[in-house]
Parts: sequence; structure tokens; C-alpha cells
Amino acid sequence: MIDYFALALCHGLLLIALLRLARRSDVDSDAALEDEADTLSAREKRAKRRKITATAREP
Amino acid sequence: MIDLALFAFVMAFLALGVARPFLWVLAYIYIDILAPQKIGWVLTPALPISLIAFCAAFAGWLLTDPKSETRFHYRQGLMLFLLLYCFATTQTADFPVEAATKWEWVWKALVFAIFLPFTLTTRTRIEGVILTIVLTVGAIVISAGMKTALGGGGYGSLYFFVNDNSNIYESSTLATVAIGMTPLIAWLMKYGRVFSPDWRVKTFGVCLIFACLLIPVGTEARTGLLCIAVLGVLLLRTVKNRIAYIAGAAMLGLVALPFLPASYWERMSTITEHGGDQSASTRVAVWEWTLDYVSENPFGGGFDAYRGNSFKYIMPERKEEGSSVSIEYVEVEDKGRAFHSSYFELLGEQGYPGFIVWIMLQLTGLWQMERLRRRYRTRDGPEDVWIGPLAAGLQNAHVVYLVGAAFQGIGYQPVIYLFLGLQIALWTYCAKRESLAPDEGNRQRGSRRAKRAARNPSSAPVRETAMP
Repeated sequence: MIDYFALALCHGLLLIALLRLARRSDVDSDAALEDEADTLSAREKRAKRRKITATAREP
Repeated sequence: MIDLALFAFVMAFLALGVARPFLWVLAYIYIDILAPQKIGWVLTPALPISLIAFCAAFAGWLLTDPKSETRFHYRQGLMLFLLLYCFATTQTADFPVEAATKWEWVWKALVFAIFLPFTLTTRTRIEGVILTIVLTVGAIVISAGMKTALGGGGYGSLYFFVNDNSNIYESSTLATVAIGMTPLIAWLMKYGRVFSPDWRVKTFGVCLIFACLLIPVGTEARTGLLCIAVLGVLLLRTVKNRIAYIAGAAMLGLVALPFLPASYWERMSTITEHGGDQSASTRVAVWEWTLDYVSENPFGGGFDAYRGNSFKYIMPERKEEGSSVSIEYVEVEDKGRAFHSSYFELLGEQGYPGFIVWIMLQLTGLWQMERLRRRYRTRDGPEDVWIGPLAAGLQNAHVVYLVGAAFQGIGYQPVIYLFLGLQIALWTYCAKRESLAPDEGNRQRGSRRAKRAARNPSSAPVRETAMP
């Protein structure tokens, strides 16, 4: 009886967790990593633009 | 009925993986820990579910996960070396048949631990693995804990779902894993996102931690008591109010004392008297034998090399005649006794090369988690706040394992390799984030340099200034 209870409780919770994981979008992509990648690419773009402007200004 | 339910659950688990292939990784972890194929009688043993989940996890990663960010960590390299070295020693083992039997499950544990960090690319995936470990081990722990609380248990008499002493279903191993898992339960209670921390999660978490603490009582595993003591000391590093913590722990201990069975006290009282019982005397004799063996066979004797041991030792034997008790010292001969220590297990089976690599794997894990713990302990942003406590939790679990490993042969225990895989994944995840935020890294390095300079002005870099 105790075994059945423990198995049922943990398997029930595991099933809920799996269903939630199957629906979550952040399982395959991490928001924090993407934000930092976006910030980095924006920073790189700004630096590139600055470089181009500086080259254009050179006589 | 239970067979059908477990079979249906495994099938549902594998089916959900079609929608999200990462779930196959979790399916393998679940099957590897719980071994539903051993709990069921007809349906679950009929299919090679472990092999199916193993292949599905690999295939899911190969076919659906992006590989551009995949990094091979040097600790995975250590595990790869250990895997190849174990394969080599299995070919030349002293006991080839027994060695081949052990190799059958050791290679799976090592290959999966090498593979696992590749799949753990996001915070939610890391949490998913921890949650799966906690709930799967939790099923065994809740059952054993309830039996203990209701008066069952005892050394070698606490019944689990599987009673063949395999994998996690060995009493001392279960006690070590259960105690080592408690910091991860506490982490899920505070930082979990799949089950948001609310009163239900906290209630379940507290009950599960209590059940974990009951395992050393129910199994009467002396190692478990030692693990609790070590974890108690380790937690002193991270608790906010140390005095309240010490007072609370002492109070809890005092309240628990009257409820502990007499047989538990009898067994625990033998911890300090290694000459007093056969189990402890055998260990010391086996360890001495291993040191001699490895000095003659520095490259190890392959798995189960202990089977070749034979030794004699003196131990006291208590005799009661009427009201008088006499103690006689008798010579006991023992053969083929197991190592009873992971350190000696690695040393005897894999020799110095395998032992050194294994120890490096353990020490680098502790060091990396310490670095992460210190680096992230002051960060309180929503995307950073969980990292420091998780690193501390994984480090505590690892220390508990290393203490438990001193008294039992769990050097290749699959659950522990899952913890090592999690450590590598967390380290790689943080490294990736830091590589994407170079400004933050520079800022931190700058602030560290400023602090160092403030502490020791003479070491501050001297800058040349132009003369007026």
C-alpha cells in the first residue's frame, strides 16, 4: 500500500512536470542567453557603425 | 496492475518526447534510477525500455538540437579517458566474466554522463533533470521513509521496490544519495520554475527532505549518519543566521532522539570501534590488501579485482555464559570481500592512472562549483540569482557523495555521474553567458583589481604620467 502511494504520488507529479515541460518554450531556448546574445550583437553593430563612420571621416 | 501502470507511464513518457525530444533524456534518467523493468513482472520487462530511451535521447539530440554552441569540456574528457581505460582493464581483468558483467552498466553510466552536458543548454533543461532525479529518487525515498516512520526498517530488512542491492537499491547507497539530494530539493523549493514555489511545493519539499533524513534511520546505514553530519556542517556556509541554524539543528536532534529505535543506536555505536564488528574489521583488512595489490599491479586488476583477495585478521568475539561476559580474540579468515570504499575500488580496479583521473574528476567539480558559488553569490538579478545556490547545492551533494564513497564501493554509481554531468552543464552554461556579456566580465575583473589595489596599495599598477 505504501509502495503504491509513493509510486502514484511521484509519478503523478512527474507527469505534470513532463506536460508542463512539453508546453514550455524556454526548454529549447534560454531567454537569458538570447537577451545577452541580442545585447552583444547590438553592441557589435554599434561598434561596426562607429568604425565605418570613423573610416568615412578620414581624409 | 502496477506493471500496467508503469508500462503506460513509460510509454506516455516516450510519446511526449515526440513533441519535445529533450524529454527522452529525462526518460532515460527516470528508467536508469527507478528501474521500472525490475518492478513490473510481464509488460515492462518485455521491452528493452532502457535501451530504447538511451537511443531515443541520443537520436533526439542528434536530429533536433542545434550543435553550433556545443562545447566539449575537459571534465568530459576525463570521463572519456576513464571510460576507455575501464574498457582496457576489462580486457585484461583478473576475473574476466565478472568484469564484463560490471562493464555492462558502467559504460552506460559514463557515456550518458559525457553526453548529458551537451543536452543541458538552458536553465529549464537543467531544472528538468534535477526535478526528474528528485521525483524518481523521491518515489523510493517516500516509500522507505514512510515504512521507517511506521515502525518498519532495520539493517538489511527495509524493503524497497527492487531488492537485489543493484544500483540505488542498496541501503547505504540510497542513504548517501538521499542525503546528497536534499540541497537540490531545497533549491527546487526556492528557484524552481516548472513547479513555482508556493505552499504546496514547499510542503512537499519539506516532507521529502524529512523522508530523506529518515533513510539512514530506516536502513541503519552508518554512512548515512556521517553524511547528515557533514551536510549539516556544510550548510553553515550558506545559512543566513548561523546561531539560529545551530540551535534549530540541536533542537531537532533532541526531539528526534526518543523516536529512534534501539537497534539504530546499537548499530551507530559501532561507528568509532572499527575493531568491534566484522564489517568494519573487514574493510580495514581489504584496504590494506588493496594497497599491497596496487603496488604489485599499478595499472589495476579490472572490475571486481577484489575477488582475488584473501586475508586473516583478529577480531573480538563476545561470549555470554550465564551472568558473565567474556571477550575472546579469534582469527577470522575472509575471501573475496568487496572494497567497501570507492577510493580503494578505483585504486584496485583501475590502478593509479584510473584513480588519479577519477580523483581529478571529483576535485575539479568541487573547485568549479566553489568558483561559481562565489562568483554568483552577490548577484540578485532574476536571471542570475539561481546560479550561486545551485552551484552550492551541487557542491554539497558532491561532498556528501565523497564522504559516503569512503565507506562503500559507489565509484561508478550512475546517479552520481548525473550530478557530475549537471555540474559540467552549469559551468558551461555560465561560461556561455559570460562570453556573451564581455562588458560584465570586464567590469567584474576591474572591480576585483580595484579591491586588490585598495587592500594592498603597493601592488597597484604604476602608470607613467607625462611630465608637465
